[in-house]
Amino acid sequence: MGGRGPFTGTVVTLLLDRRLDGPVTLSDNVSDDAWSALTADLDALLRRVAHRDPEAFAALYDATRSRVYGMVARVLRDRGYSEETTQDVYLQVWRTAESYDPASGSALAWLLTLAHRRAVDRVRAEQAASQRDSRYGAATVERATDQVSDAVISGEERRRVTECMAGLTELQRECIELAYYRGLTYVQVSERLSANLATVKSRMRDGLRGLRNCLGAG
Amino acid sequence: MNPFSDSTADLVELAVPYALHAMLDEERDSLESRVANAGSAVADAFYDEVRAVRETMAAVSATTAEEPPAELRGRLLSAIADDNVRVLPSGPRRRPAWMAAAAAVAIGLAAAGIGLSLRPPAPLPSTAQQVFAATDVNTISGAIPAGGTATVVFSRDRNAGVLVMNDVPPPAPGTVYQMWLVSDGTTTSAGTMDAEAVAPSTTAVLDNLGDSTKLAFTVEPGSGSTQPTGPLIAELPLI
Repeated sequence: MGGRGPFTGTVVTLLLDRRLDGPVTLSDNVSDDAWSALTADLDALLRRVAHRDPEAFAALYDATRSRVYGMVARVLRDRGYSEETTQDVYLQVWRTAESYDPASGSALAWLLTLAHRRAVDRVRAEQAASQRDSRYGAATVERATDQVSDAVISGEERRRVTECMAGLTELQRECIELAYYRGLTYVQVSERLSANLATVKSRMRDGLRGLRNCLGAG
Repeated sequence: MNPFSDSTADLVELAVPYALHAMLDEERDSLESRVANAGSAVADAFYDEVRAVRETMAAVSATTAEEPPAELRGRLLSAIADDNVRVLPSGPRRRPAWMAAAAAVAIGLAAAGIGLSLRPPAPLPSTAQQVFAATDVNTISGAIPAGGTATVVFSRDRNAGVLVMNDVPPPAPGTVYQMWLVSDGTTTSAGTMDAEAVAPSTTAVLDNLGDSTKLAFTVEPGSGSTQPTGPLIAELPLI
């Protein structure tokens, strides 16, 4: 990147792609080098955002927006809410970038944790405000159409993570789905699945460990 | 919940729902203090698990990726261009720093509004009124690592600011908090606060901001120093 001046979104997304260089198999952990390079780039961008650099902020947004918005939209299942929440998330990033601590995890995990927290808070607030609203009922909402270009997240990467998901047991996947994407507490998950709490907790944990091993992202 | 019934395994098992935000706020808060009280080995195991779950879900976000509406980008970029609220990192980072930071913004801003308007019986000093009425008024808020928040509302036009401190613990006996206006080569005392002045909230007018770029807080012995000598506890950028 030397001599190119400020980071650009392109640099970051190229690194995202680089994660998937070479043959990918389920037992082949995602290259730690490429993952660290991506994280290092996002770290660098976040540090510049902490110094009020709008260009770095724009690059960070471009490199991460589809992951953030997509996750938020999956939780909220409403375009308007998802857009507002995504805006709040990035405004919070702008204001709190200085508090990101690389020792506590990658920049991408920091960002998605922040975004997930806001999405869950929003979905719970909306649920409480309108119990009768069928929007957050049990009905399954279809996934939005695939609009993310391969330049940001390669089809290969998505396929690979999807395969890892598919490798979980039905109950493990359901526990993670209900907790992470529906915003249910683990107590509510156990009620929904008529499973006892201990079972739910251990399925969640086993599911996450299974995913982590499959992805090599832990 | 009986705190004496916690085993390491019980606590660490809750790390996954905790990391997935799959518990209510009350349970999360109580879990955090149980982990904090369980010793550093348990806390390390707990937060290692939390970290691992978050990294995993960050990778999983590839499967749900979806482009946001294009106009969001422009809206955000103009929002940040006008945004002057900045939150500083807070002390020990057992809690995800962003949560504490988010709380600090909320509390700090609430304090700036409510603390000042409800403070009986004296009316606001005129400097403060001028600052709040200024067209270039800015607000900077930060958490004090020892606890509490500091918020500065300031105006360059008026060359003045108002500092609001909320829930900051008193300085150790025999010391005071001292505020400093820091500019390129100079550091000027902006006053001190002793234990009595700090609790539970206090406001101070900062006259003559000059070309200062930061408001710094140190702990100083006795009734203060002419130049900072003690540990820096917080800094608020006046930008």
